Amino acid sequence: MHLIDTKTNKRYEVVVDIVDEQDFKQITKSKFFFNWKEEKKNIIYKLMLDDEILGLMSCFDNEGDKRIEIKLLSVSKENRGQNKRYERIAGTLIGYACREATKRYGIEGCVSLVPKTQLKHHYIQQYGMMDAGKQVFLEGEQLLRMLKEYEL
Amino acid sequence: MKNRKLNEKYTDKELAESFVFRDDLSAEEKKQSDADLREIRNNLRSKVTPKQMLLSRLLQLKYQIEDYLKNPNYDAERSFGFFLRSYLDALEIKHKDFASDISINETELSQILNKHRNPSEKIIIRLEIHSNKIIPAITWFRLLEKQREYEIMTDNSLRIRERDRVSNILKVS
Repeated sequence: MHLIDTKTNKRYEVVVDIVDEQDFKQITKSKFFFNWKEEKKNIIYKLMLDDEILGLMSCFDNEGDKRIEIKLLSVSKENRGQNKRYERIAGTLIGYACREATKRYGIEGCVSLVPKTQLKHHYIQQYGMMDAGKQVFLEGEQLLRMLKEYEL
Repeated sequence: MKNRKLNEKYTDKELAESFVFRDDLSAEEKKQSDADLREIRNNLRSKVTPKQMLLSRLLQLKYQIEDYLKNPNYDAERSFGFFLRSYLDALEIKHKDFASDISINETELSQILNKHRNPSEKIIIRLEIHSNKIIPAITWFRLLEKQREYEIMTDNSLRIRERDRVSNILKVS
């Protein structure tokens, strides 16, 4: 898994891990937009470059449906928009959700999210998600493609 | 209010590359939307090819090994042989055929599967080649090292046997 520095094009290896209590000291609303403490009922993953958290994703494992639901995701403030420092943060986190779905449910595993209407088209275009009306999802070929793209 | 500020600052594409927002569906809407998704997924399932199925099984095994390696605890059940057996199960291959694929005899394979023998580095490399690098040699190697690490820490009978072969034991502690 790697990110790309937008200025130098240099690749940086990153890790994704589960957030622990200590991490909440550096998870602020100003940096990650949402109140992440509200997500403690779900699994929260952090994407890290060295010791710095660059992205967060909250997931719910819907075991009955063999589906990981992405409930919330945010990249750090300095990595949004046209002046962002690194590329691929959100994609790597979504890719990691695909990894978890495959690990738990094999080929039947699925990753889904409920998009804001105006963003739906972009999730489909950017990550190859499929349209299921109010939700978009990855499964089968599209999910395997994400794993390959993000080197998982 | 806050979302409006984001909409002013970023394009929709930039927002999709930075966020997934909390959904605002009612419980009933979410339930209906889950049912819709379930139906679409059921229809898609018949389109999975054998190749995708195999790739998915191999990746599933790789992730399970990686997570076990990350866990600091040792689990005697999860030996090299255990995961190699899972590899053969994923491929649905007969032991005899797999032994032939990686140029070892069936007895040697059986000894590795049953923890009576450790695989050589050559075999570990052959496993990587056999999976077309889906499961890299380093993953198999680390699995073996985790097992060896545990054995060296806990093998007291070996310590008792080897003590007689060491003299001038340092008198510091």
